[in-house]
Amino acid sequence: MSEFLERPRTACALAGALSAIGNLPDVIPIVHTSIGCGGNLANSVAFGSGYLGGGYCNGGQAPSTGVTETEIVFGGADRLQEQIKNTLELIDGKLYVVATGCMTEMIGDDTAGVVSEFRDEGYPILAVSTPSFKGDSYHGYDIVLDGIFNKYLPKAEDKNPKLINIFGLVPGYDPFFRGDLEEIERLLTAMGLEVNTFFTPGQTFENLASAPGAALNIVLSRVWGVELAERFEERHGTPYWVTDLPIGPDATDKLLREIAGRFGLDADNVTEKGNKEFYGYFERCADAFCDQDLKFYAITVTNSTYAIPLARFVSRELGWVHTGSFVTDKLADAQKLALQSEIPLKFATGVQEIARSINTDHPQNGAQRYFDDLSPLYIIGSTLEKRTAAARGAKHLSVSFPAYDRLITDRGYAGYRGGLHLFEDLIGQIMGVKQ
Amino acid sequence: MSYYENGIPPVRDSRLKMGDSYSGSALGLVECGREGCLLQKGRGFWQANACQMALSLMMATTVENSVIVMHAPGGCGALLHSLSAQSAKGRAQRGKTPASVPWLSTNLSEADVIGGGEKKLRETIEYADREFRPEIIFVVVTCAPSIIGDDVEEVVRQARPAVSADVVSLHCPGFRSRVVASAYDTFYHGILRGLNLSPEPRADFRPPPEGCPDDGLAEKKYRYQKSRTVNVWNATSIGAADEKEVERLLTALGLKVRFFAEYSSRDELRLVAEAGLNVSMCNVHDDYMLKYLKEKYGIPYVIAGMPIGFRHTREWLLRIAGHFGLEKQAGTLADHEEGLARRAIEPFLEQVRGKSVLMCGGVVRVGSEATALSELGLNVLGIRAYHYDEGAEPVFEDVGENLPDTPVSVSNQLFEMTHQIKTLRPDLVISHNGTQGYIAKLGVPSIQLFNVDSSFFAYSGIYQILRRIVFEFKNTSYRERLSRHIKLPYRQSYFDGDAFKYIKN
Repeated sequence: MSEFLERPRTACALAGALSAIGNLPDVIPIVHTSIGCGGNLANSVAFGSGYLGGGYCNGGQAPSTGVTETEIVFGGADRLQEQIKNTLELIDGKLYVVATGCMTEMIGDDTAGVVSEFRDEGYPILAVSTPSFKGDSYHGYDIVLDGIFNKYLPKAEDKNPKLINIFGLVPGYDPFFRGDLEEIERLLTAMGLEVNTFFTPGQTFENLASAPGAALNIVLSRVWGVELAERFEERHGTPYWVTDLPIGPDATDKLLREIAGRFGLDADNVTEKGNKEFYGYFERCADAFCDQDLKFYAITVTNSTYAIPLARFVSRELGWVHTGSFVTDKLADAQKLALQSEIPLKFATGVQEIARSINTDHPQNGAQRYFDDLSPLYIIGSTLEKRTAAARGAKHLSVSFPAYDRLITDRGYAGYRGGLHLFEDLIGQIMGVKQ
Repeated sequence: MSYYENGIPPVRDSRLKMGDSYSGSALGLVECGREGCLLQKGRGFWQANACQMALSLMMATTVENSVIVMHAPGGCGALLHSLSAQSAKGRAQRGKTPASVPWLSTNLSEADVIGGGEKKLRETIEYADREFRPEIIFVVVTCAPSIIGDDVEEVVRQARPAVSADVVSLHCPGFRSRVVASAYDTFYHGILRGLNLSPEPRADFRPPPEGCPDDGLAEKKYRYQKSRTVNVWNATSIGAADEKEVERLLTALGLKVRFFAEYSSRDELRLVAEAGLNVSMCNVHDDYMLKYLKEKYGIPYVIAGMPIGFRHTREWLLRIAGHFGLEKQAGTLADHEEGLARRAIEPFLEQVRGKSVLMCGGVVRVGSEATALSELGLNVLGIRAYHYDEGAEPVFEDVGENLPDTPVSVSNQLFEMTHQIKTLRPDLVISHNGTQGYIAKLGVPSIQLFNVDSSFFAYSGIYQILRRIVFEFKNTSYRERLSRHIKLPYRQSYFDGDAFKYIKN
């Protein structure tokens, strides 16, 4: 039996699927469930992830069967058939993905059967099974991409030796997915590679179609997208490499050198330029950073993808004293094992649970004269940590879902530029209160 | 047995004649609603929307010192992250502590869906009580546990003596109604069954000592005060500024005004029955609750539309005043206020006269505001109501009388709205929150039909509505530029045909 959760920092498989579909070019969701799921779940990231908003055809525009009591009793196959037919007539897309919710799965609708009839007639459509009780948003990302890449798209005939697919960043639940992907793309392209990131505004349906021909899949998460990449390899023969999202120059240098090695390329030009740019800006801030004593103890509260990269960045690049990383995803033991590194991690989701853990491990000064407390402290987490931080007099920046106290467009923390952005945002929270 | 005695509330679809798919005229709609043909209508194509759970949560998050327990799989509560910020703001605007609402999810897994989630629910309720010490625990029951038949009422009954909080169950599975407004009934059903709505001796008043000589004066004073106390029922779309304006007007009639049920605490809700009259601010919000309070406590109620615009506000005031025999005073008040407001809006009228407007959103608000703006010289091109039920009959009879030729539809569907905006080309769209971005992408000026940070009701409300329209017209560059870079998902052929082609009879 799974445990109850306090304020889970994810939603359901359908939510993850809709967030992924909604950020893929020309891909149209058809939500086979009651009418509220599509809107409610889209809103959770549209407003909860840096105001990501809707897109071409998600949120309130997403076609939905809107099943009611009638379909629960008599089955929803007819409604689905009608909805698909009319969606194909009304909505202009290159691929239609039917995603199920709890109630249509519970009543045992033959969704795949209805969809295969349209498929047989030549329509670009597939079905994925995404009820909430099967997994959270991160699983939904995996399920929908598995459906598109490993079930829908044909096997690659030829490989493009310079093409890389990037996986592992989950739209919405990684609030900086677009900026992060764009920086990775920028750097790899500068090394002479071609990159499919799928979820950024510059991508087209052609990037999806060309993906099976990639020479390498890079998974920027030790946990999410890994199974997808495994099955991708089984189907299309593309090997995969699981690594951490690189934040800042040290991590980015290593990533680029590793990739360059794999492709027989030289990374030096790109890393040298990256470092020159990074330090060209970074060193200018040394006066303010040091004169104003902006050195902190740092605690991070994020998903598994951001935990290790963030801890490394604040330790290595900023020289802060990292004192704890909470991973808020619900993970299986094998996934927790995959996250082993020099950074010790704690696994907890509830706001209360995390706050209590911090306060137990690091008691606050009860007016003693000599007391080595955890200050100055910076908590880098989600908006939910704002109160926890305020209660301890700590600084706070939202970088993980839900992040609704800031607006995010193309900002990302990956790479050289991302490292600067993160530095700017962390210190900006301190400068922002000056008057 | 009345609805109020059931553990699980009725959905509005089974309680009232209603529907969510219609295109025609106001009087046609009223007739279709009465005859029941509205019930038969649906669509062959639907877009996703919210559900009664979403609105139930919007209301529940406003209640002070409460915790929400989602009895649901992991995804259902996800929108609470952003709702919590909204309710924190609403509290601050009413001078209350802007605390965010803690919530938990029973996080039903595949095993729970097969084996039942009752034990887990009980554990979660107990944890919520222990960890947060709330006054109220809302147990929100969504689709999955409703389908598997978890006996939530029995779990709640057993949990009550074991926890210090009051436990209120809100049954709001989305599949039972496509109509979001069903949530009002769900919320009030939970409140009226789960909370004590009459004062408790010693907590709320000191009973007279036994044998105390009583000349009856205290009793008379109490009865008089109670008879002049008015409960005004707010909900979701009604913000603090509207409450303030309504309070100002009713206070001017010598009445004591209190607002329920949003932004009330358990202690405040216990005083609900201490009133002489319950007053609605919207025909489709609270009839379920007001009828209950009449049945249980004998408190009469007034449901008289929404106080938007001069005529509707006057009618609304007069109906309330009528209960107290204060019609003359209310008439004088309305004359005086109207005189002041009409002078104030004078500079705006020139700028909005003749402008064409499409109205989209909640059924009572769109109908009332359409006639109100029409009376001020705007040209109402069309009215789109999110749903329709028999509670809205008087509003649409009035629309039919005053705007007989205006197309009226019942639609919360963005594709139909997009079609109407593209083909009717209104100068302005006044629309429900959640649609503003889509309208901007079409390049058309728009303002919010409601926004809890602004004022809409009565005299300051109409001034602010007009001021916002004029403000919107002052610069429309953002949306003009934005719209040039937007590709709509709909095929062009749809816009060449009927907007409502997917409505089925």
